[in-house]
Amino acid sequence: MDNNRQGAKASYVALVFFTGLWLILPSAVRRFNREAFAEFQAPALHLVGKGRDLARYWELQSRSPEELVAAARDLARINAALELKIHSLDDARKENTRLREMLRYPQSTEFVTVVARVSVRETSSWWQRIIIRKGRSDGVRPGCPVVFGDRVIGRVSVVHLTTSEVDLVTSPGFRCTAFLEGDDQSRIVHVSGRAGLALSAPRAMVSIIPLDYNPPAGQIAKVMTTGLGGVFPSGLTLGTLEAGVQTTSEKHMQTGALTPAKELSFIQEVSVLIPKYPTAGEILLTPADAGKPEEFR
Amino acid sequence: MKDVDGQNPSAPSDRISPWRLNAIFFFFCAGFVYVAVGLSYRQLVQNVELIKDSVAQSQRVVILPPSRGKIFDRNGYVLVDNRVRWSVKADLLALQPEFRKEYLSLLKKEKDRFPDRRPDYDQLQQTARLNVLNAWLTKIWFVIDSTNQKAAKGTPKVKSTPDLHPEERMVHPDALRKHLSERRALLFPLILDLAFPNSGHTVTPEEGNRSVARFIEQFPVQGPITLEADMVRSYPNGKLASHVLGYVRDTDILKSKLDDAVVDEFFKLQKIGHVGKKGADGIEATYNEVLSGYSGWELWTKTSSGYNKDLLRFEPPKQGADVALSLDTKIQKSAEEALAKIVDSQGKPLPAAAVMLDVNTGEILALASQPSFDPNEMADRVTQAYFDQVNAEGGWLNRATQGLYAPGSTFKLITATAGMRAGKIDWDDILDCGPSYMVGGRAFPEHDPVGYGQVDLEKMLAVSCNVWNYQVGLRTGPENLAKEARRFGLDAPLLQKPVEHDNNSKTELPNPATRMVVPDRAYKQRIAGEPWTDGDTANTSIGQGYLLTTPLHMACLIASIARGETRTTPSIIHDPGRDGRHLGAEAIGLNTQQLNALREGMLRCVEEGTAKSVRIPGLPYAAKTGTSEYFKKGEKAHLAWIIGYAPADNPVVAFCVLVEGQLDTSTWGGKTAGPVARDMILAWQTAADKKDK
Repeated sequence: MDNNRQGAKASYVALVFFTGLWLILPSAVRRFNREAFAEFQAPALHLVGKGRDLARYWELQSRSPEELVAAARDLARINAALELKIHSLDDARKENTRLREMLRYPQSTEFVTVVARVSVRETSSWWQRIIIRKGRSDGVRPGCPVVFGDRVIGRVSVVHLTTSEVDLVTSPGFRCTAFLEGDDQSRIVHVSGRAGLALSAPRAMVSIIPLDYNPPAGQIAKVMTTGLGGVFPSGLTLGTLEAGVQTTSEKHMQTGALTPAKELSFIQEVSVLIPKYPTAGEILLTPADAGKPEEFR
Repeated sequence: MKDVDGQNPSAPSDRISPWRLNAIFFFFCAGFVYVAVGLSYRQLVQNVELIKDSVAQSQRVVILPPSRGKIFDRNGYVLVDNRVRWSVKADLLALQPEFRKEYLSLLKKEKDRFPDRRPDYDQLQQTARLNVLNAWLTKIWFVIDSTNQKAAKGTPKVKSTPDLHPEERMVHPDALRKHLSERRALLFPLILDLAFPNSGHTVTPEEGNRSVARFIEQFPVQGPITLEADMVRSYPNGKLASHVLGYVRDTDILKSKLDDAVVDEFFKLQKIGHVGKKGADGIEATYNEVLSGYSGWELWTKTSSGYNKDLLRFEPPKQGADVALSLDTKIQKSAEEALAKIVDSQGKPLPAAAVMLDVNTGEILALASQPSFDPNEMADRVTQAYFDQVNAEGGWLNRATQGLYAPGSTFKLITATAGMRAGKIDWDDILDCGPSYMVGGRAFPEHDPVGYGQVDLEKMLAVSCNVWNYQVGLRTGPENLAKEARRFGLDAPLLQKPVEHDNNSKTELPNPATRMVVPDRAYKQRIAGEPWTDGDTANTSIGQGYLLTTPLHMACLIASIARGETRTTPSIIHDPGRDGRHLGAEAIGLNTQQLNALREGMLRCVEEGTAKSVRIPGLPYAAKTGTSEYFKKGEKAHLAWIIGYAPADNPVVAFCVLVEGQLDTSTWGGKTAGPVARDMILAWQTAADKKDK
């Protein structure tokens, strides 16, 4: 009995000691510890992802040859169609470059694309965060847009050596500007994620919608990136504007809910768009530059 | 030491007298009762007051300004709107640790530099706050200004913000001090209008959007710097109708609509208001009560250092009501564009005014005054440089309603009417009109050195013969001339309106002229202390001398003549149910032939007379030109007038144009003011044709 009491007492003392130690540690040491933990955890996350891929592989292996032949045939057709599309896009790109040069129009932000598998998606933050299997060693930087096809999935918030954390469109940490389909392209709206429960519907809000905006008749209005902010390329789809746009209580703007791309709920693979040159915001986030605003002048 | 009984005499007796014990007991009981009663009193009787005091110390109300109502023209075209204003603001409460850190750093430096001197702690605190805020502001501008390319290489590809003076990119110490003393609880605005920073700098909407987008997408979401969107006054047409629309300025007095329960609840609470807007000129001022709406409020808990902590309740503001003006944007635009073409030898626009009325209803279709100002420059915070520039140009004066001028030859319509009504002349009487006319031993000249010979009423109006008017004026007499001018309301204040429950302004536009002058004998005696002479009568008969009136009065005069009445009640507010009755109006008092001659004379003025240079083929209209003299900076100059109505056979619109001429007297009614009238009539005709189709 006494031994138990003494053991419990020792545990409390240890807890208090280590908590106190953690609190008084220099921030650099704490940051190092956190980073070290993330890197220590990374192989386990990789393993989980690889295991899931392996399970998928064996699941496909168990299919009948007929099914695989049919799938291969479909894939061949899709490949052929994509080949054609690549050719036509190549022509369009050349024409675009020629016209830009002729008009001396500034080149759009250039991106390098890095494809990444989703490593982990925790149930507690299902609509807020995913972890992908690409990190600093692959050139991923904080703030990079993350897309799937032409749909915005989110943007990178934290980068580790081999993994990165991505804030989804439905995360409170996400915000960007957008155009509404069918609206005057000189008017921008604000898109921001909203905190929601894991099992609830994904939530994001479109605000500052002009009062005179009406969605195209009989259609669901797409919400698209503006490309003005220097982070997202223009014309990517953030989602669709749900019906039932509401006027704010002051009656001078409208707000609406954003339905994100349906891929967001089961996304397995994404593309990270890494800008060729770092954005100003990215430079600000770099710890070495933080607190030295004079250098930015 | 012990006494004989073996007891120590200095030791206290173990027997305490009962009365002492009772006294102690009594005092304890009394103290206990006092405390108990006091506590009960506090808890049971004063509890409500104490709770209120506690709440008053720990909570505050923040008043939220409402959006103002919109202003439309008669066709529903938006003249004044509200646009989204994106402001970058700093949460001073969240910045406290940074302020503290900077303060300690400054304090250490100060002590190291001057170890024997007592530091100025307040100044150090203020400097620390400024340093921290400026550091954040520099980061914000860095994000807004820079493109990706620039951030990496230092070579900008796209310039999205105007070149602001370095001081305009810093926090102003006085602004911070004022904010901390008056609105400490609210977020501190670092950049008031992110899309259009600082008035007076040209930024296109796309450039503005780019600045906003950069901040939203590149600046950290979490942190002490936030982005807020509210509405600010916007005048989409710039200077168009600026004297009618007016502008707004900051106010701390916000109208609220709290119910009694809330008023009681909030009575003791500290209240802070965001800066709101109130009308400072034009319709914005006179219909301020209607446009203002009602402010909302937020109930916050506050920290011991005075910052807001938690939001408890919220009531949104209520936007003001809209106002529909009688203006027609297209006619207004044509009037202003035509006025802008009238320039002096240096290419500077001449001061001028133009008015067009609906003849039947009196509704004002166009009311322009030049030079003008851009109300957008005043929508947020006007710069002293812009204020001084408009002031130097004389742009604040609404010449159409506030400018007082001698009406010149346009007054001859009154002289002719007075003469006919007094029976001194008839429509077909012919007078001999030479190159001058002797009055009181002085030759009063004709503007044509040869004279006009045999002149009747129609010819007089067509050629604007002075000598005819001298003769008729002298026959009619100054009292009859004055009486007739007053009958047409030339000295009556216009744009008056009854005070309504939601609008306590007494006029439709601010400060319309009230010091118009229709002179008579008594007037001259009062002003100059001299008796009236025939020369004064001759001068008055041609619209010179002491006569002073406004272009709006002259537009009303001609609208009245077009209808065959004496008064027109002008209005700038559109009312589709207006019945066409005019306050104080009576029949003109001329027989049909006299009235027809008057109208025919004005038609001939356009077809073959002084306004023939601005006739419109296929659209006959009636007009009377005028060129009066005035002294500008001690030298003689001309005022150019034209008044009239269109079409001639079925009047629908009446107009008046006035131009303040140059010193070289090259300004003439038909030549200078006529083109403006012509353009307004054409704009009206185009609009009317479209409506018919």
